[in-house]
Order: sequence, then C-alpha cells, then structure tokens
Amino acid sequence: MKRTASGDAALWACAGAAATCLVAIVALLVWLGAAGLSALWPAPIVEIGFADGHAVLGEMAERRGDTLVIRGSERERAGGSYVRVDAHAIVSRSEPRDAFAITLHDGRRLFGRGDVAAAAALLRSIPNAEPAGVAEWPNAHGFFHRTAMFLRDAGRFLAGSTMAPSLTGGAFPALVGTVTLVFLMSLIVMPFGIATAVYLHERRGFAAGLVRSAIANLAGVPSIVYGVLGLGLFVHGIGADVDRWFFADRLPVPTFGSGGLLWAALTLALLTLPVVVVSVEEGLGRIPPGLLAGSLALGATRGETMWRLLLPAARPALLTGLILAIARAAGAVAPLMLVGVVRLAPALPVDGAFPFLHPSRQFMHLGFSVYDAALASPDALRGIPRAYACALLLVIVVVALNLAAIVLRNRLRERYRVLEG
Amino acid sequence: MATTMTAPDNVPGTTAVTVELPAGVEIALELRALSLWYGARQALDAVGFGVPARKITALIGPSASGKSSLLRCLNRLNDELPECRVEGEVLLGGTSIYAKDAIVHEVRRRIGMVFQKPNPFPLSVYENVAYGPRLLGVKGRRELDASVEGALKAVRLWDEVSARLDDSALALSLGQQQRLVIARALAVGPEILLMDEPASALDPAATLRFEELLHELAQRYTVLLVTHNMQQAARVSDYVAFLHQGRLVEFGDTDALLTNPRERLTEDYITGRYA
Repeated sequence: MKRTASGDAALWACAGAAATCLVAIVALLVWLGAAGLSALWPAPIVEIGFADGHAVLGEMAERRGDTLVIRGSERERAGGSYVRVDAHAIVSRSEPRDAFAITLHDGRRLFGRGDVAAAAALLRSIPNAEPAGVAEWPNAHGFFHRTAMFLRDAGRFLAGSTMAPSLTGGAFPALVGTVTLVFLMSLIVMPFGIATAVYLHERRGFAAGLVRSAIANLAGVPSIVYGVLGLGLFVHGIGADVDRWFFADRLPVPTFGSGGLLWAALTLALLTLPVVVVSVEEGLGRIPPGLLAGSLALGATRGETMWRLLLPAARPALLTGLILAIARAAGAVAPLMLVGVVRLAPALPVDGAFPFLHPSRQFMHLGFSVYDAALASPDALRGIPRAYACALLLVIVVVALNLAAIVLRNRLRERYRVLEG
Repeated sequence: MATTMTAPDNVPGTTAVTVELPAGVEIALELRALSLWYGARQALDAVGFGVPARKITALIGPSASGKSSLLRCLNRLNDELPECRVEGEVLLGGTSIYAKDAIVHEVRRRIGMVFQKPNPFPLSVYENVAYGPRLLGVKGRRELDASVEGALKAVRLWDEVSARLDDSALALSLGQQQRLVIARALAVGPEILLMDEPASALDPAATLRFEELLHELAQRYTVLLVTHNMQQAARVSDYVAFLHQGRLVEFGDTDALLTNPRERLTEDYITGRYA
C-alpha cells in the first residue's frame, strides 16, 4: 500500500467521523425544533363522514398506518373523546370553514360548526365550562393568521402558568424553576469549587494528591447516587434538624424537612463540584510562574497574590468551569426527583413576596416536565408533543446560559490573550 | 543532581573569604558566610561580601555558579521553594533578614527584584505600578496617581505611556515592559534593587537605554545586577563579584578586577579561556 494512500484514508475516516458528529447534532436540533414547535401549530379541524351517514368533527391527533385517531369534543374530561377510525371506512373528509374550536380553562377542547351564536350555545350546553378564550375558526384563516395564532400559543406556553402540567398550559413555572435552580447551584458551587482548587494548587503533596484523585473520581458517580445522598443528608438529615430547631411550631408539617429548592441546589452543587475544581485548578496551573514570583517580590503574601492576581488572571478558566457545571446541572433530572421537583408546584420559588427567594419551596423543572409529559400524562396523545416542546425549551435555556458564559469568557480571553500565547 | 558540590582543591582562591572594602564605602547589604542548599545539593558555599550603597554591583560567573540563587536569597524568594535551606546572615541596615522576627514581605518590599524575562501582570499599565502601593494599603486615588506617575517617570516611561495608562501592560514592547516592572518595583519604595540578567531579553537599542537608566537609578538605589555579558558589567558596574561553583572567588572595583584580576580563575573567565 502506498503511504500517501493510507494517509489519505485515515484523514477521510477522521473527517467522516467529525462530519457524522456534526450531522447528528444538527439533526437532533432540527428534529427537536420541528417536533417541539409543531406541537404548538394550530391544527385544522376535520370533519369525517362515514358510509352510514354519521360524521365526526375534531382534530387529527395521530395517524398510524390505516388508522386515524380523531380528538372530538371533550364534553366530560380531557383525553376522553378520542375516536379511532379505519381509513377504509371513510367516505368523506373535509375541513369546513365554519368549524370552530373553544379551549376551556382545564385544557379541554370543544368543536362545533356555525357562527358565534352556535359557539355560545355549545358552551352553554356543557356544565361548568370555563372558556380560556373566545371561539376560533382556524379553517377559515390563511397562513399568516395561523402563524399569529402559533405565536400567541407559543407565548402562552412560555409565559403561562400551569393548571394541568402534563396536558396543556404554560411552562413558565418549570422555566423559572430551572433557571433559579441553575443560578442558585452556581452561587453555591463556584466559591466552594474555587476554594478547593486554590487549596489543591497551593498544596503539592500526597494528601492533596489523594483529594485530587478523589474529586476527579466523583465526576464519574451516577447522578442518581447524588440524589440519594441529597435525600438522606440534606432532606432527612439537615432539613429535619433545621425544622426541629427553627420551625418547631409548624411541625409535623415539614418546612426544610422535605425536598426543596435549596436542597436540590446543594445536591447539584455536589454533582458539579468536580468539574469546577478540575477546570479551575488547570487554569491556575497555566498561569506563568513569573507572575507569582513578581508579586511575591513586591512584598505580597501568597494569599494576596492569589486573590489580586492569579484568580483574576484565571477568570477564563473559572468561566469554563461554570459552563461545564451548568451543562451538567441542567441535564440532571434523576437526582432532582428525590430532592424537591414536583409535577405541579403551588407557587414559584421566586416571587415578589419577602424574602423573594423561597429556598424551602418545592419547584418545577423543565427536565422533569419532559419526563412527566412523556410518560406520566393522562393523555398520551397530548403528552408526547408537549414533552418535545419542553425538551426544546430546556435545550434553548441551556444553550442561552452557556452562550452568555462563553461570550463573557471570550471577552476576558481577549484581555489575557498575550498571557496565554 | 543530588550530589554535594565539591570545589576542586587545586584551584587557588576558592576558599570562603569575606572581602574587605576600602574604608569609607557605605555598605547597604552585607552577606556573611551565606550558604544555600536545595535538598542535598549545595548551591552556595559561605559567600560573603558587602554590597556598596547607591552603586551598581555586577554579579558575574559561569552558568550554574549560583548567581541567580544568590540573588533569590537576598529577598528570601528561595523561601518559597520546598527543601531549601539557608545558613549565614544577610544584614540589611544592621539586622539580619533571616532573623526569626524578620517580616518576609517587609524584607521583599525593601529589597526589590527584577527578573530576567519581563513579567508584567495581565493588568493595565496603571494597575501594574499601583499593585505594590495598593498592597501597602494606599487607597486614595490622588496618592496612587502620584506614586504611579513618580515611578513611571523614574524609569523614563511616563512620556511613552501616559496617554495609555489603562491599556494592557502586555501590549507594551519588551523594553517598555522591562522598564515597567522596574517602575512597579520602585513604587513600593525599595532601598535595594536586585536584577537577574534584566537586559538579556532586550535588543541592542533597548539594552542601551536600559543601561542609561541603570546609571540614573544608581544615584538613589543600590543595584545588584546579575549579568552574563562581560562588556555590560564593564560598562555599567562600579563593583564586580565573581562567583564560581557557589563560591565567591573575587570581589572588587570593576576597573581593577577586570583589568588586573588577582585570581587565575577570574582572569580565565573574563578573558574567555574558561572552559
């Protein structure tokens, strides 16, 4: 075999592998985006006629082979009016322009035909029906109007609070819960991680080596193990004690003795500590030794040098650690299920009432919403698209947080470019 | 290398001696039988001489003769190395800097150091010079401005950088960086400046400017300079100390030592016959 030929082959193999990675990432994002966004796109209302003369009005929920699933008017309960239709039995199929849809407050949808008066009559015929908005005639509208409806629904999904979490309603509480959790986790893990890295950087010995390898190994522990640790140590251990000492008047109702935002943030901080320590220590190790000597020669102590010179110079590495920590924390759902995430939280973890941040409150999380919508929804045909939408939002949140940190880091790198080069 | 250094017995003049200076010369820093070990390896062996005040003393000698090690002993930078041991005394104004009650960072403030490679901090020009005064607790903007300006003027850098004090110090040229780190050292008000081959990274023009600066500095500060360059030692220094294998071979007036060395070893070194 010619040497050049084998070299080319290896190059092509590597390029192919890189291209495969790129394609996989792009495909994932495109598919997730399409699936998540199409869940919010207004579906047409179809009327299907059968040979015996009767007709079904509703939304197409699923099509699998020759079987169609139509969601008709949900007069009694959500998810209770699916009609399974054999495609061969259909004699007519139309999208009548006078078909309207009414969305109720609890997520139910009603369908009918006619004008505003007909819609009002339909609403009156349903007991205890609370409409979430006015009736709509989606079939009568063109693309632009449907786009406007889509944007409105997307806004509701983003900003609306949730009544039936796995069914319909907004993801706002889960969004707030996710972002608050990540911020609180960062506030806890960064000082601890930096302090640990500084200690390990200053101490070069057998004991420090042991600590270093122990921390590196912590990175490989499955996240659910941290969840169990958090449940046992924080919730049942410290939390129960805190309740006994400070909130005894409320017992037996737990305050900190049940899962909550603080314990979840602490658990995630433990989970992400290794990546912060490792990247900060590497950053400190990359600083030229001349800076330390120069500062000491001016009469600075090692502590002053670390605080005034080395840590500021290592800021890009600090931010790299933060980025890795956010990426790991935002993706960890399993431990949160043990220490404070719930399907439906009665209140947000941050609000306008003193003390604004409520560390003992249970909260909602986008990652858990994905799991809940996909597997635990009472209405699977609505749950799966909702899971896609939540997953898309989670990815957007993680990417946005990372982008912010990366932009900040690159601006700092620009300042220290000469130092690193 | 973990072998204990042994000087060849047949080389004359390598016994440890404290060199007497002519009467009337004020001594800023006095070394008495200074020995240094890195673990089991001895780097300095009973070095003793006095550094004359407000003069430039050049420290010459072949590679690994202990010049840099000696310099690092004089402001206790060797303290930072593990397994480093110092014996003997270094007297600064009558008290030993290795005394039990000596404050290390105060010693380092009084004895400044300039390194071989310019090492400006990754901060602005202003913050580089203000770093030392801030350590000393100076907080007032006006006071800081004054000491920054004074230090930069003392090293003839003020005119070049006064318009860009907030720019990164790393953007300066090498020659400017070296003058900046000297200004940084001056800003804490030292009495003595230790310089470890400070011109070795500079081009000839920058070296020339640097040597002119040295002369100006020597009017106010005591300078102890390590150099490999014999011409430089001849051009700038008033006194020369020749170190060989960790021992002081000869110390004296520059002109006398370079033109008429007493020791054979010194003569071999300065004439380039040393191998």
